Amino acid sequence: MPPSAELLPGTLYLLILKILARGPLHGYAIARRIKDSSEDALEIEEGSLYPALNRMLVKGWLTAEWGVSENNRKARFYSLTPEGRKQLEHESRQFDKLIEAIQLVMRTA
Amino acid sequence: MLRKLLFLFQRKKFNAELDDEIRFHLEMAAAERGEAQARREFGSAVRMREDTRSAWQIRWLEDLLADLRYAARALRRNPGFAATAIFSLALGIGANTTIFSLTMEFLFSQPSCRNPETLADMRIGGNSGIDMPKYRFLRDAHIFEGLAGSNEESESNWRLGNDTYRLHVMRVTDNFFRVVGVPVAMGRPIEPGKRDVVVLSDRFWKARLAADPNVIGKAMIIDGRPYSVSGVLPHNHRTVLGFGLSPDLYIPVSRETDIVALIARLPEGMSIQAAYARLVSACKELDKVYPPDWGPKSSWANNVEVVPVAGVERLKSLDIAPFSAFFGVLMIVVGLVLLIACANVSSLLLARASARRQELAIRLAIGAGRGRIVRQLLAESLLLALLGTCAGLLVNVWLSGVMNRVQLPLPIPVQLLIQPDWRLLVYSMAVAVMSALVAGLMPALKATRGGVSAALKLTERQVAGRGTLRNALVVGQLAVAVVLLTTGFLFVRNMTKSMTMGPGFDADHVVWAYMRLVPENYTSSEQRRTLINNGLSELRALPGVEAASIACIVPLNDNWHTMSEIRTDLSDQPIRVSFHVNCSAPDYFRTMGIRILQGREFLPADRQGAPEVAILNENMALKLFGDRNPVGHTFRYTAPTMSAPITVVGVANNSKYFTLGEENPLALYECYFQKQEDVVKLHFLVRTLRPRDVVQQIAQTLGRLDASAAIEVKPMRDAMGFAFLPSRVGAALLGSMGLLGLALASIGLYGVMSYSVARRTREIGLRVALGADRGAVLRMVARESFALLVIGVSIGLGIAVFATRPLAMFLVPELSANDPATFLSVAAVLAAVASIATLGPALRALRVDPMTALRYE
Repeated sequence: MPPSAELLPGTLYLLILKILARGPLHGYAIARRIKDSSEDALEIEEGSLYPALNRMLVKGWLTAEWGVSENNRKARFYSLTPEGRKQLEHESRQFDKLIEAIQLVMRTA
Repeated sequence: MLRKLLFLFQRKKFNAELDDEIRFHLEMAAAERGEAQARREFGSAVRMREDTRSAWQIRWLEDLLADLRYAARALRRNPGFAATAIFSLALGIGANTTIFSLTMEFLFSQPSCRNPETLADMRIGGNSGIDMPKYRFLRDAHIFEGLAGSNEESESNWRLGNDTYRLHVMRVTDNFFRVVGVPVAMGRPIEPGKRDVVVLSDRFWKARLAADPNVIGKAMIIDGRPYSVSGVLPHNHRTVLGFGLSPDLYIPVSRETDIVALIARLPEGMSIQAAYARLVSACKELDKVYPPDWGPKSSWANNVEVVPVAGVERLKSLDIAPFSAFFGVLMIVVGLVLLIACANVSSLLLARASARRQELAIRLAIGAGRGRIVRQLLAESLLLALLGTCAGLLVNVWLSGVMNRVQLPLPIPVQLLIQPDWRLLVYSMAVAVMSALVAGLMPALKATRGGVSAALKLTERQVAGRGTLRNALVVGQLAVAVVLLTTGFLFVRNMTKSMTMGPGFDADHVVWAYMRLVPENYTSSEQRRTLINNGLSELRALPGVEAASIACIVPLNDNWHTMSEIRTDLSDQPIRVSFHVNCSAPDYFRTMGIRILQGREFLPADRQGAPEVAILNENMALKLFGDRNPVGHTFRYTAPTMSAPITVVGVANNSKYFTLGEENPLALYECYFQKQEDVVKLHFLVRTLRPRDVVQQIAQTLGRLDASAAIEVKPMRDAMGFAFLPSRVGAALLGSMGLLGLALASIGLYGVMSYSVARRTREIGLRVALGADRGAVLRMVARESFALLVIGVSIGLGIAVFATRPLAMFLVPELSANDPATFLSVAAVLAAVASIATLGPALRALRVDPMTALRYE
């Protein structure tokens, strides 16, 4: 499932990693947080969020644990592994480079 | 990958957790925006679930497992089919892996030592060993991390109570265990400085000392001296020499004249070339202290060899071409057996695929890809192959156990130690996958060929047609079976031939009495000569004894082969000849029953000081003197120095010397008492009409002469085991493989024949109903299978003619590899088997009531 149209390809991982860098969250909160932080500009479809989370579990960037949510419900909390943290640094550097390059082209051309 | 594998085992839990998570998400969303909205936004939960799960899946593995599960269900529904296929494969794979294990053990086993990769066997001046002073000189040169010596062909006399036994011992330098790093199971190894300790082999400890747990420190009288047991080797001990050699015990070198072969521990990282260079320069120093004595310009630095103790390098350096060739032949033969087994499974699968044609057609029709179905059918053959391999490994373990227990009639103790190891596992996995592909690919491809509509329309009987592929399989199986049987038959004929043919001497009326003296007890050759003369005269005086003599070499049990330049008195040109040597006392030829064709045999007058005399065999006489009568002529050896002339006094009949397979060997006999050999091994030979009656008496007579000597007396016929060994082993292995091949091919033949007759039941019923003569129907069915038989057997015989040609090196010269009797018998056997396989099903078809046959739909 490709991420939603507004999202640049491949940036969903980066967003999830960034959001989780501040602490463990459950799936719904991740989607919520992305939406809020982007002032509703970015909306993550559930149909791509959970597959992405699971692929990240497979890659070893995340771990998942069952815990209790703010409204006292059983929920699955995702958190970064050291490997995930490394991946975050790597991806954000790549992303910055890409944006810079695009802006450079936009400005000069 | 690992995480994914773990997932395979937690699938249920995963699904439940995913459901929980989705439910939680929906509830949260519903709380915010209302349930309907939340559901709409969420989209298809099923789709999402699939996507999420696929993140975790290893697609091909899941498919494979699903295919295997499906295949297992299919096999359970057809137990007869599965059992036949697995049985065929188990036999084929069992035979195959067992020969593989045997080959690995024999040619590539690792010796019991520390870091075999830095150990090297060494040989200087072309000698396989050197005496102790020279050994010490090289050891003290400290050119390697360590230099040890060993002599694996030593014997010792073990005195126990009033009896003396001959032991096969490994005589080693006192640093051998430390340099080589041989582990012991109990006690301590032989340590530097120790001269009076021995280390026992596990076999000796168990067989001769009843596995005494308190054996350490016990005394043993060996060669008249007390030794104490310092250690016992583990049961899986393998000597550095390998080949299953299993000495009774390790004992330190006791005499300065003992010869040891060198083995060096190279410093870490030293190459073989560097070791070679060091050894050569040390040998040049050795020349100065101990000048070599085998002719002018000789040097210890000539013919230096440095060879790693393990691996392929070593095999190249040893002269084991016949062994390798033999194992090569064996591997090919068991490969063919496996091929037949695969063909069996293949034709079974073919038959099944025809029966399942409609099932497959339906699956194709509802959209399964052809590749997917082929894969599914292959999974079925893979499952069969895996089950067959498991059963085959059981066969392997059983057969290896049998082989480990076999006591071969060899002059030295040999104990094979075949154990399943990772090489066997890898090999059998490879074999399993290969057989699955070989057996399954063709049927799978054939079953899915042709369009969907064609497959759906036709019933099995209509499409099966003449079954070309199946017929090709039968022909192929027959051909391979012919090749196998021919080989097996050839070796069986070889065995019977070698057992019945005369070795050129009279093995039935001779007793061989071996007497090993303790070297320390016989310091002068005069002492020894007195003992021998006393022995001979007492033996001759025994009742029933016709003649007695003594020789250095007992034919077909030991060998003394040499290459020399000889100059006869007929010509100035020396002739280079390679020949067997024996030295024998007067009466040798009479005792052994070898005819003297010209001249005389040795006489008591041919003693030390008298002119040197020799007797030639016919081949040797022909080679040296041509058509002339050589008696009275003389010859000389030209090297190392020109020898005194030796007079030929007789010509003896040709006979066998070392192997029954040798062809036109040359031989020369020297006179026993003219040679000053310091030997402690006395081989008395006694001629008598009833060998078994005098064995006891001979042993007692010789035992009275010297109680410290080890004495073994046996009729010559019993001592022929070693000579018969190659032909017996060949016959046993290849004969049984041939029979196995025949059995498997018969199963296949029978299966295919009965299947094709069953397929024609309706047709046969129709013909009979329409009034066809039963004989004619029988002929019709028989004609088809006999056509297959003739084609298969002809192809097989054609291949066999060429395939058996290289086997001539294993056969006695009296038997040709293209022995017509062998080919005829093989063709007859196969024809008989094929007739039974055809007639059975055909007769059954004829007995079917025409009405039943017609309704057979």
